[in-house]
Amino acid sequence: MTTDTAVADATAAEDGAQPPATPSRSRRRRRQLWIFLAPAVLLNLVWGWYPLATSFVLSFTDARLRGDVTFTGFESYERMINDPLVAQAFRVSIIFAVLSIVLTFVVPILVAILLMEMPRRTMRWMMLLWFLPLSSVGTAILWRYVYNTDYGLLQSIATGLGFDRQPFLNSSDQVLFWLVIPGLVLYGPGLIYLATLQSVPTSYYEAAEIEGAGFWRKIWTISLPRMRPVILMMLMFAVIGNLQQFEWPMLMTDGGPGGASRTAVMYVYDILNQLRYADATALSILLFALIMLVVAVMRFAIREDPDAPPRRSLRELVTRKGDH
Amino acid sequence: MAALLPKVGMRQPKLRLSRAAIAAFLGLGVLLHLLPFYYIVSTSLKPGAEVVSTPPTFIPSAITLDAWKLVLQIGDNAEIVQLVQEPFWVYFVNSAFITLLAVGLGLPVTALAAYANSKLQSGRSARLSFLFFIGTMMVPFVVTLVPMYLLTLNFPFTLPDAPTIPGTDSEFPTLRLWDTPWAVILPAIFVPFNFLLFKGFFDTIPDSVINAARVDGGSELNIFRRIVMPMAVPVFAVTAYMSFGSVWDNFLWQLVTLQSPDKVTMSVATYQLIDRLSTKGTTGGGAAAQAEGMSDLLNSGLTWNGMMVLAILQSIPIFIAFLVCREYLLRGIKIRGLK
Repeated sequence: MTTDTAVADATAAEDGAQPPATPSRSRRRRRQLWIFLAPAVLLNLVWGWYPLATSFVLSFTDARLRGDVTFTGFESYERMINDPLVAQAFRVSIIFAVLSIVLTFVVPILVAILLMEMPRRTMRWMMLLWFLPLSSVGTAILWRYVYNTDYGLLQSIATGLGFDRQPFLNSSDQVLFWLVIPGLVLYGPGLIYLATLQSVPTSYYEAAEIEGAGFWRKIWTISLPRMRPVILMMLMFAVIGNLQQFEWPMLMTDGGPGGASRTAVMYVYDILNQLRYADATALSILLFALIMLVVAVMRFAIREDPDAPPRRSLRELVTRKGDH
Repeated sequence: MAALLPKVGMRQPKLRLSRAAIAAFLGLGVLLHLLPFYYIVSTSLKPGAEVVSTPPTFIPSAITLDAWKLVLQIGDNAEIVQLVQEPFWVYFVNSAFITLLAVGLGLPVTALAAYANSKLQSGRSARLSFLFFIGTMMVPFVVTLVPMYLLTLNFPFTLPDAPTIPGTDSEFPTLRLWDTPWAVILPAIFVPFNFLLFKGFFDTIPDSVINAARVDGGSELNIFRRIVMPMAVPVFAVTAYMSFGSVWDNFLWQLVTLQSPDKVTMSVATYQLIDRLSTKGTTGGGAAAQAEGMSDLLNSGLTWNGMMVLAILQSIPIFIAFLVCREYLLRGIKIRGLK
């Protein structure tokens, strides 16, 4: 940063003043601007906006296998809504998302806050160990083995503790719960929270200290409000990502038993494999609608302003508990 | 460094205890996190019979490299060849090629666009192009899955068949990207979230720095290369790490677009193998087919220890990317004002 400010000081005189803009120069500038933007614009058009737009068009057609495509209105939507497997798949996706967010969303936030309390060197080491990544495909393979009902590690722990033999992934009631559990020891998002916390000036905490704020009070009135925009963004990503869960159920259960872990995206994939393109698109747009609905409700329910004071009653509750 | 615990009176027994409790909690979490790492590695070193015995052992009774040899020589083993046709290093190389190209092309493309948006555009045009780039970020991947799949089949068209040229019987010429590495690479180059990370960083660079360089007569590309890039190393590291992980570990899109045995990536090949290895849920094939696949594998000597080798091979590149980028990770994340 020191070199930046040195440069900034040296040029303070010209600050804001653009270099002389002769016509040839500004034309060259505009050409350079387009050279910079062109590849990204092209790729985002072709692989972002174009498929998005045609997705809606395709869902109103009878596109399948081969041959001509004609518009059929809401037929694919009707077919999808009346398909009992769709309702089941949506239920699975929603339960999975709720379980996953309830069980795994808070831990990385807490960890990031607590990591900041460690001396600098300890923190560096702990950070390295906490956020060491494991491939998510690899994780799924490992847990499939751990959940094996005959010779898996968890079965031997369960029977060792005196429980009956557990069905784990073979139980249609429990399968979603067990699928969420591996996420408990993946703390990747904590890195983003940690980065956010590092930008909070220490003086805030010192000022709070002088005012007599305790441990929990500081977390509640300084750390969390500062992290709020990032937490909201991560929550949004978690909702969008978890409602589209595909990888772990596919690798660990393949949708079983009896479709009890077949998520909406897995069903889209199944239909796509049958080359029913219009139906698959219609189903994915239904899922899109659900996701947008959830996101809209979340935005409405949670106040955005990071500096808004927290609710009085909660604050008092926390303060009484936390003050030393 | 935050200071949730008071600095004054650090040595008071009560405060010491709190600090120790936090350290213990964090230590326990680290232990839980590292347990899967240990179990994967130790299982990959166990002999085949021990892996399927009850009760499972936590410490290998004997350490062998059998599983490693088996997986690395998979092409030579007649029984396994019926299940996976190519040696596993082929899949590894496929994954590596796709990932390196996607990241190698993606970083400059995304960074230049973000830089242009942050520093060369202003006012209305800047806001509009920002929306254009970010607008696709919140769209769930599944929505574009089918059109993108059709797009890879008949390149400029998202239709099952290319339409006929009006007035003639012949079809429009199309480009088939499906079942080539490019079907995976091209969509992975521009990533809106990376654009956001880059833009967040470039916004923090004062305009005066850029203007000073312009007065000195640098071309925009040179300014970017000589002045902006050295400052932006952390954000490059973060985006490199994140996009590396997301391409390498991607599963759904690669499963949809890659099919021929010599084009398939690690994650897809692993899925195909594990699909045969363990008894599936009831949606899968019949019980007889499962038993057959199972015995094929056991005859070849490949069992869960071999699968753990694959899990390790799948993890190692992500692991390395993390170690390489770790110094910059915290400094490179600057997400601001996302609304």
